Amino acid sequence: MTFPPIFFELFVLALGILILLLETFFEKRDRKMFAVVGIVGLAVVFLFLQASGPGASGMASYVVDPPAIFFKKLSVLTTIVVLIMSIDYADTIKRFLPADSPQAGLGEFFALPVLTCAGMMWMSSAIDFILIFVSLELVTISFYVLVAYMRRNASSLEAGVKYLILSALATGFTVYGITWIYGVTRQTNLVQISQVLPSISVDNQPGVLFGALLVLIGLGFKIAAAPFQFWVPDVYQGAPTPITAFLSVGSKSVGFIVLLRVVQAFQSLPAVGDKLITAVILLAVATLLYGNLAALPQTNFKRLLAYSSIGHAGYLLMAVAGISAKDSGQAVVVYLAAYLLMTLLSFLVLVIVSNHGGGDEIVQFNGLSKRSPFLAFALLVAMMSLAGVPLTAGFLGKFMVFKVALETRQFLLIALAIITVGCGFYFYLKVVRAMYWQPAPANVAAIPVSKLSLAAIIIMVLLIFVLGIFPQVALGLLPG
Amino acid sequence: MSPILFWIFVAVMLFFGGMVVLNRSPVGSALSLVVSFLALAALYVSLDAYFIGVIQILVYAGAVMVLFLFIIMLLDLRAESRRRVNFPAVCGGFVVIILFIKVLSEVCYSFEGGNAKFPPISQGPQGDVWHVGMILFQQYNVPLQVVGTLILVASIGVVILSKRVLK
Repeated sequence: MTFPPIFFELFVLALGILILLLETFFEKRDRKMFAVVGIVGLAVVFLFLQASGPGASGMASYVVDPPAIFFKKLSVLTTIVVLIMSIDYADTIKRFLPADSPQAGLGEFFALPVLTCAGMMWMSSAIDFILIFVSLELVTISFYVLVAYMRRNASSLEAGVKYLILSALATGFTVYGITWIYGVTRQTNLVQISQVLPSISVDNQPGVLFGALLVLIGLGFKIAAAPFQFWVPDVYQGAPTPITAFLSVGSKSVGFIVLLRVVQAFQSLPAVGDKLITAVILLAVATLLYGNLAALPQTNFKRLLAYSSIGHAGYLLMAVAGISAKDSGQAVVVYLAAYLLMTLLSFLVLVIVSNHGGGDEIVQFNGLSKRSPFLAFALLVAMMSLAGVPLTAGFLGKFMVFKVALETRQFLLIALAIITVGCGFYFYLKVVRAMYWQPAPANVAAIPVSKLSLAAIIIMVLLIFVLGIFPQVALGLLPG
Repeated sequence: MSPILFWIFVAVMLFFGGMVVLNRSPVGSALSLVVSFLALAALYVSLDAYFIGVIQILVYAGAVMVLFLFIIMLLDLRAESRRRVNFPAVCGGFVVIILFIKVLSEVCYSFEGGNAKFPPISQGPQGDVWHVGMILFQQYNVPLQVVGTLILVASIGVVILSKRVLK
């Protein structure tokens, strides 16, 4: 059975509305069930996505190519894991909501990520600046709400306000850039822009370049690239942990598909395209340095993951900078698949551990190998993969990125990236050291893990090894 | 439309535009702006741009101005106290206005495209609202649906973030 591709988004949208409505009809039920409804519904969407192939969409602004399908699957998977985390995190949410019934506000907390997922799926297919912009805004506005969700927690509110103001600024840059591009090319469709570009007059080239750079700034904010990363550490630390994971995986990966499409569209005019690539390389250099060096002194695990998220954006930008190479798109895809697994795995373990320790500091992980060997092993795998140890998914991702950089002869960038990978080993293994070599605090109990989280952790650990040990299997599954 | 009506509406618009600046009470200023907008809408209608005219009344005179008035009353702004006229500043203001008009007129007369005759606009039997609707619901149907979702998310967010006690 096949559907027109646009039906996937509509189904996810309907699922989100359904979860909202369930609250009205089943007021007395445990609202965590609503999240399970969402997980099951999204799993069905994922299976249909897996069965569907690329094809014509019949619309100029919407494509269904292999990357679009891959990023839709990625969004759905991320949302599923975020919902699993939200179930574990629900008690913390309840504590920080002003409510007169014990379950108030939980239904919306489970429905909003599903609606955000629909936005990310639209974004994966968008090749028209208008559709790109509205779906980007849908994703961003849902995140405004989700980040500030814990209203009685000052740091969540602070994160919400920071994200709102800086994100609105970035949106302004994007729209301004789009108007410049439209002003010169009279097109909003990326395909048409790339056809029109070679025929524009030389006088108009700076206008297009200016517009493209402004769009790059706006997207740089979304993917957390330095120097547009100010918001990342505070927002990641203040937001509810499942939402931090969602921001760091979902928001970032759809930002990259749009970035790839935009940079690709401008390659038809080398005078502009080459300068845009130079800008991306500069962003990559700044991002690699900032993300990895600033992560070194961190003692809070959430903040550490925030800086690590910036650092990984740097490696991904390296792949985007090598867009002239054949494998550039594939490198981004493989890297993001690996990044999804290891980051979500870290956050999942973090949610479970901090639920029982009461904080996000690395000190909380002291002696975790004694208290809960399973969780410690899962986090060990995640950290190894984030650092890029061979036989894990993270290594495969870094390998592909370096290959692309080598093909496009970015030797300086490679040298820099090798140094920053070294830094990565230091700060990721700091967590491992806390788990395995620090004594556990006295009289702490073992940490219980719910069945759903247990299944998710086991699947992700296995997938990290499968991607790392049998890359040919994984590469066969991923789009080219 | 006869030129007499044009001049009447222009006069109304400019007069109430001036009143926005000169009126001491913020509520009076805001109401003057509404009248100015209405006259502008009449000018649009006189140019056969019925859709823009209607939108001007609905969106600007309706929604935006009500929002303005609402905020003015919410903040309980009082009438401004009378200020002494700063003579050098007034002179400076007039110099700037005169220079601006001079530049504007020179640019306008030297711009050759400005003298070109426009081709008559083809008026379909359906009118412009029909055309806007067709473009919105055919060419831009997907973005429209996405905007709908966005508004849904925003309204959920407003309730969640601002309701005093959640039920």
